Amino acid sequence: MIYNIYHKTVFHYQSMVTFSHNITRLKPKELPHQKLLNFSMEIEPSVYESHAFIDMYGNSNKHLLIREPHQSLAVTGKSRVEVFPQIIVENIRKLKENSITYSEAIERLSKFNLEDLDAKQFLFESELIPTSSKAIQQYALESFHNERDMFEATNEFMGRIFYDFEFLSGFSDVTTPVEKIFKAKKGVCQDFAQFAISALRSIGLPAKYMSGYIETLPPEGQEKFFGVDASHAWFAVYIPNVGWAEFDPTNNIIPNGQHILLGEGRDYADIAPLKGVVQSSGSSYLSVIVDVKREEPLNKSPLEIQKNQSQSQSQMQIQTQW
Amino acid sequence: MPIFDSYVLKSSCDEMFDREKKVKEPWKEVAQSLKSVGFEALQERQAEIDWLLEDNGVTYNVYNSIEGNTNRSWSLDPIPFVISELEWSEITKGLQQRAKLLNLILKDLYSEQKLIKENIIPAEVIFSHKGFSPEVYDFGLKKNFNLYFYATDLARGPDGKMWVINDRTQAPSGLGYAIENRLAMNVIAKELYPNIETKKLFSFLEEFKNMFKKFKLNEDSVAALLTPGPYNETYFEHSYLSSFLNIELVQGEDLLTKNGSLWLKNLGGLKRVDTLIRRVDDRYCDPLELKNSSKLGVAGLVDVMRQDNLNMINPVGSAILENIGLNPFMEKASQYFLNETLILPQIATWWCGQEKELEFVLENLDKLIIKRIDRTESVQVYFCKKMSETEKEDLKSLLLQSPNQYVAQEEISFSTVPYYADKTVEPRSATIRTFSLKSDDCYSVMSGGLVRVSSIKDALLVSSQKGGTSKDLWILGKEEKEINFVNMFENAKYSDTLINNLSTLKAENLFWLGRYLSRLITTTRFVLHIVKKMTNFYRYEGMISKESQEILQKALTHLTMTYPGFFSDENRKKLERNPMIEIASVVKDGSRAGSLSFTFSMLSNTNINLKDILAIDSTKVYEKMKKEWSGFAKKTTHSNISMANELERMLIYMLAYKGLVKESIYKEQGLILYDIGYNIESALLFISKARSILCWHVEKSVEYDILEGLLNSVESFNAYRAKYKSSLLLENVIEFLIFNRQFPKSLAYRTEELMRALKLLPKSKDSLSSYEKPMAEANLLLQSLNIKEMMKRNDNEALYFEFDNALTTLSELYIACSDEFSKTYFSHYDE
Repeated sequence: MIYNIYHKTVFHYQSMVTFSHNITRLKPKELPHQKLLNFSMEIEPSVYESHAFIDMYGNSNKHLLIREPHQSLAVTGKSRVEVFPQIIVENIRKLKENSITYSEAIERLSKFNLEDLDAKQFLFESELIPTSSKAIQQYALESFHNERDMFEATNEFMGRIFYDFEFLSGFSDVTTPVEKIFKAKKGVCQDFAQFAISALRSIGLPAKYMSGYIETLPPEGQEKFFGVDASHAWFAVYIPNVGWAEFDPTNNIIPNGQHILLGEGRDYADIAPLKGVVQSSGSSYLSVIVDVKREEPLNKSPLEIQKNQSQSQSQMQIQTQW
Repeated sequence: MPIFDSYVLKSSCDEMFDREKKVKEPWKEVAQSLKSVGFEALQERQAEIDWLLEDNGVTYNVYNSIEGNTNRSWSLDPIPFVISELEWSEITKGLQQRAKLLNLILKDLYSEQKLIKENIIPAEVIFSHKGFSPEVYDFGLKKNFNLYFYATDLARGPDGKMWVINDRTQAPSGLGYAIENRLAMNVIAKELYPNIETKKLFSFLEEFKNMFKKFKLNEDSVAALLTPGPYNETYFEHSYLSSFLNIELVQGEDLLTKNGSLWLKNLGGLKRVDTLIRRVDDRYCDPLELKNSSKLGVAGLVDVMRQDNLNMINPVGSAILENIGLNPFMEKASQYFLNETLILPQIATWWCGQEKELEFVLENLDKLIIKRIDRTESVQVYFCKKMSETEKEDLKSLLLQSPNQYVAQEEISFSTVPYYADKTVEPRSATIRTFSLKSDDCYSVMSGGLVRVSSIKDALLVSSQKGGTSKDLWILGKEEKEINFVNMFENAKYSDTLINNLSTLKAENLFWLGRYLSRLITTTRFVLHIVKKMTNFYRYEGMISKESQEILQKALTHLTMTYPGFFSDENRKKLERNPMIEIASVVKDGSRAGSLSFTFSMLSNTNINLKDILAIDSTKVYEKMKKEWSGFAKKTTHSNISMANELERMLIYMLAYKGLVKESIYKEQGLILYDIGYNIESALLFISKARSILCWHVEKSVEYDILEGLLNSVESFNAYRAKYKSSLLLENVIEFLIFNRQFPKSLAYRTEELMRALKLLPKSKDSLSSYEKPMAEANLLLQSLNIKEMMKRNDNEALYFEFDNALTTLSELYIACSDEFSKTYFSHYDE
């Protein structure tokens, strides 16, 4: 399956900005089951200098310095990505087949194993996901009994989030604490992903934040409008000796071809699509347009996926000058 | 009374005395000296030290503020901490080994991570610690990524050896205080301890300076010390150390990054920074890639490191070495990298992430201190001995739940040292901070250090909070080289007087100091006039008419841009009945942009940033004014008369402050920037008032009132009378305040002043610069205008249309000048 993705992020500033440093992360990751066929980025206004680098989580970053006076900064990423569902399905089969129990996983993680080292980066609190409360830990333990199979437990855990939490945009933003989401049982995809990660880490399991896109379909009989999609988020849990298993609690599905991964990290902050620091006065806001389009015609009815929008997230620091 | 009679040994180990209370060998001279001089002389020497330190505070402009808060966090004891040459050479070897090892660990953790992959250090100990920076994960093998400067806290353990207590790696502090202490001790030592010879700090400090020289890229590149700024309580040390090492003292706002490099912003242009020593913690160094909310760093700094274009002392990421969880693995790491055992002992530490260790810790909880390992600052510590059974049970379940987050340490009592406290000498616990510097493959250790003494008599632990006392560390022995101490300050530069080298941050603050001060004074005068008129203060001139009052009130709203203010339709009735409500709000409501309180707090920000330029007197006046203002702003009710009185009093402070600012700094030092700001703001505010007051045709009686108001608000009534003598005429007032080239407050005069000042700036050229053009245009406009022509008016219109147009154009030209000026000099737009 080939997807064309259009992702435009715009910072709007209240007053003129003459000097701004930014980092964008809009280039999708290359994976065995995901091939980046094409990628281009457009930036408005023009860039004074830019520099690309790969971060610790393997994501493509681009550092941009803008020195032209501007009141908005628009960064558009256009990618053409091929996803191979057969590989994903095969991966899921292997994960299921080789999965171990929760207590086996904990036992193994307490020992030194070369293969597990990378996953251990995702065991601890991070900027947006601090160590969770006892209540969240308790919520997770309801699915993770000692003798329970890890894959099955996580699948059930995902389902509980799907049914216990209400999808509601506007309730939260990027700074809303996980504990608040848990209390209100409301939020959007990134809240659910971060809540799940918080809960899994609290019971000693490595979990990471997956950021990307999902194809959405218009109501039956209607044509799809451009730009109605949103960026999406889900999570992955580490099953020692087996690998990372991905789950999408917003839609209660195990990603198997509709998800396109942009990048991954400990939480949203590690993979925010655009962040920047400007010297200016006044406030700023962010607008986002995302479109995901499949190139080949659908041959069977796809999964019913809610059009669950994630909120626009602003990671912008304005350094006030008088 | 003999000096040591009341000295009762408290701990198992004392530095000066053995168990039989015999003086130990290295201390014999010190003890002899103290016995022979007695308390009185000791008291005198203490007073001398206090005076010397106080004097340093004054020199570096860190004085006690009016409220009595002291900015100095240290005092110095006249009794040194003595260590023999022999013992010190062993300690030196241990410190060199530890520094080398930590540097290898640092480079490995941020590159291959062999230590983790080969199970020397558990992954959990590294990844759970906040000091591990994923942003620099692959910088370890870069040429400039090194632990250049390293501080170690040592204390003597029960076995009589010096133990490592803490490693300070990300932004080690204390060297400035150590130097200051030594210079103060040198003064009193000649009399107090005439027969003692100690090692000098000189060669270490020379090496430090040489390091900066070695890293120098070219003639113009500079080394800098990054400080969190004057609000920080250790700013004194930053200021002292930077001038001692002869490097620039900078804040984040002084710097910018571009072309993959770090630059210092000066009025004359950008200067490349090749070396940065910092007092800002890792996570605060770069708001772009590290902590987004930080105001202390510079955006893009991590990327400069990525390009390997900066020697950072120490690199972002070095906070990981302050991880107490590394302790249990240091021995293994030393074997792995150096094939050596650790020379300096550490406090026995157990990482609970291992089965056997956890078991041991749970069984011996009462003898241990438990610490969380994930933070560098404010580490959570549990003293198990003092905990209740339930607390201990809770702790146990925490340990079982996430064992890899905790370490346990032995509780140790460290040695005591004699300390002079108000007519008695008593034993206190102490730790020593030592300093090491990387030179090529080896580390040099300073022959001295900063000794911190516990602030309470019986405290076992030395608190690192401010308000502690310190000692100088004396290593006995002859210096191999003869050094003349006076020369230490020899190549310290005098503060740069060239305007080219004035930092952009300072320049910008001076410019805004001028603008805010003008705004404050002008607005205060205008409000004062309105209030006085309302209270019929000028009794002999009778009541002001309602119409003129309204004109002045609306002019106030325009002037302060506190809309809707007196233009509010909603509150119209209320405002007519009691205009004081609105006036009081424009004066005191600090949350309202444009109010006097608001302007005052803006002025405060600029004032504090200029602390080291302004004279102490002006800062004192400022502090006093600030205190008075906050008292005044807190009062909720005022009669008109008391409001007028208070404003009058504040105005006097403002004028005194202004006078001191003007006379305490000279032009090249930045007064020029202040003048430019002051003139631009004064011109803009005057035009605002003129448009409200002079541009409308009104009845003669009203005209008289408002012209008087305008003249009074620029304190020009007497000058006007001296020239025109006659009664107030609109044309005369316009001539006087706008066109008169002899009167310093007229627009024409200010414009000429500005043109002169702008010519003196570093980027000035033969042709007109972008910021000079508007002023040249304004000057031409002022020359070409003819009052008679300008004041023509159709009978059915109240507005002097031409005049208003001219004022609008002038206002735009001043704004254009200010904008272009800011762009060129503060944003470094074309560099």
